[in-house]
Amino acid sequence: MKKKLLAIMLTAAMAVTTITACGGNTGSSTGGSDATQNVSNPNAKYNVGVCQLVQHPALDAATEGFTAALRDSLGEDVNITIQNAAGDSATCATITNTFVSDGVDLIMANATPALQAAVSSTGDIPIVGTSVTDYATALELDSWNGKTGINVTGTSDLAPLAEQAAMLKDIFPASTYKNVGILYCAAEANSKYQAEEITKELTEMGYAVSDYTFSDTNDVAAVTTNACQNCDVIYIPTDNTAASCTETIDSVARPAGVPIVAGEEGICKVCGTVTLSINYYDIGYAAGEMAVQILKDGKDPKDMEIGFAKNVTKEFNPEICSALGITVPDDYKEIAKD
Amino acid sequence: MDITSLFAALPGNIAQGIIWGVMALGVYLTFRVLNIADLTVDGSFATGGAVTVVLITNGVPVPVAILVAVLAGALAGLCTGILHTVLGIPDILAGILSQIALYSINLDIMSGCANMAVNVMKYKLLLSLRNVPGAILVSLIFVVVIIALMYWYLGTEQGSALRSTGNNPAMSRAQGININMMKVIALSLSNALVALSGGLIAQYQGFADINMGRGAIVIGLAAVIIGEVIGNAIFKKKMNFVLRLSFVVIGAIIYYIVIGIVLWLHMPTNDLKLFTAIIVAIFLAVPYLKGTANNSFRKAAKRGAGK
Repeated sequence: MKKKLLAIMLTAAMAVTTITACGGNTGSSTGGSDATQNVSNPNAKYNVGVCQLVQHPALDAATEGFTAALRDSLGEDVNITIQNAAGDSATCATITNTFVSDGVDLIMANATPALQAAVSSTGDIPIVGTSVTDYATALELDSWNGKTGINVTGTSDLAPLAEQAAMLKDIFPASTYKNVGILYCAAEANSKYQAEEITKELTEMGYAVSDYTFSDTNDVAAVTTNACQNCDVIYIPTDNTAASCTETIDSVARPAGVPIVAGEEGICKVCGTVTLSINYYDIGYAAGEMAVQILKDGKDPKDMEIGFAKNVTKEFNPEICSALGITVPDDYKEIAKD
Repeated sequence: MDITSLFAALPGNIAQGIIWGVMALGVYLTFRVLNIADLTVDGSFATGGAVTVVLITNGVPVPVAILVAVLAGALAGLCTGILHTVLGIPDILAGILSQIALYSINLDIMSGCANMAVNVMKYKLLLSLRNVPGAILVSLIFVVVIIALMYWYLGTEQGSALRSTGNNPAMSRAQGININMMKVIALSLSNALVALSGGLIAQYQGFADINMGRGAIVIGLAAVIIGEVIGNAIFKKKMNFVLRLSFVVIGAIIYYIVIGIVLWLHMPTNDLKLFTAIIVAIFLAVPYLKGTANNSFRKAAKRGAGK
């Protein structure tokens, strides 16, 4: 009898925790953009599920762009359900499975594991990805012609690497800056891909390129110190771990006098000298426009080419550039301080 | 907030729960039988996934890939066991060391990639999200076979020695049991099961990720404890060993159903980890507090005070 009572108590405790935590959602919706989007409209023509891998400024911006594009074209005709896996890749599978069993009309997968889970869940429901760097690797496709050939399309967050290499060459010529170090987190598939691609470009331009990888935030300082000792200039791709450790990197690299070229604006703002940056809101918005074409115009995702960021801006960090005595050409825009 | 959508998603949650149940059985072996909270599992779970995906994508037949993953997991457990018994490192720390080491090893297994896909359309996978009823069936077969094997093994002479090591190491040593050997065996077997679970999950979700094992130990403990509390409540004293093992898997299923409910309620997933920790803490604390409340000394004190 007592045990039964205990079981009932525990179940009640679980229920209460669930409900209080749920109540927290409506109370504190300031942090996420999703709270208002989840209000369902019973008359909506389309249901769209968004699975985002983790809370991250870039991914949040992409999701925001995506929902904005859907709202702009379809207005109240679309229900958007946003779910965030909080960095747990197994939860992506739970989320996409829920979308499939709900029978949504389209799944938007934000980041690589979300896309892989979505593709594992369904072969029929159209899937639009964003913030995925390389679709061929993410989906393990043998041949690549710009389209996936399956129920998947979307936009890539690949930074324009050839242009970034050219920018590095303009400002830090190989004659004085011979050794380039590429600094990134070994655990991020996207960063590894970018490092490989830009290494090809830079080696062709006559630089000696070497990789400096850290495994998590704890060894960033040590790896950066090592890179500063051996390199004349450092390149950091769009790496999430590096992005969260920019202060650490800056406090090592600036005293050492080693300039950093960053793959995106957020990193450049704190520790970089120059960058060519892409805008995650834009690639999210472009993915949203593709979703509209699929839902409204009946286009087939397997015939749609993967989109890339169209607008890139050359930017520089005035504080670090003047500290290191680097002058940049006039067409570079000053990065706005927060 | 339609209740039907919750039920529609249920089979998927159940399948995921059963597969994690394999992992929870491994955790049961160390946490309950051996009385060690082995943190290696966060690493060996991803090892299982990584080995499976790398082998499958290189054309190795799926059963062989799974078998190698199981051996890799056992090897990871062996390392923890050696760190603990031969080198005298405390068990928690030995597990943490293996877990950290496995992070690098897992990256090396996947040749430096943090995430590797295994495309369900290209390989004959044992189970996949594409076919949820099939996944439930396959994982259920695995679970039944594993429970049968565990039941048989823990009844053998070596299995009994293993259980007694967990119950009372000093007495077991006095009886001539090599308790260090028993610990190493249990850690290897446990991590073999965890790696098997990782290999199945990787196929189910279509990829292996370097972070896929993060927090796995908490899910394992949650499953063991939720299952125990519920099993004891239903069967009371009639709870036998097979039921105990079955309820570990049921605990994992309940855990994933709760996750499904959390998602269905659109509860902020930022708080998911906190929520999990609170549930596990409650399930761990309540039986203990109840035990102290029923303590005979306290009862005697109460009687004494009443006089």
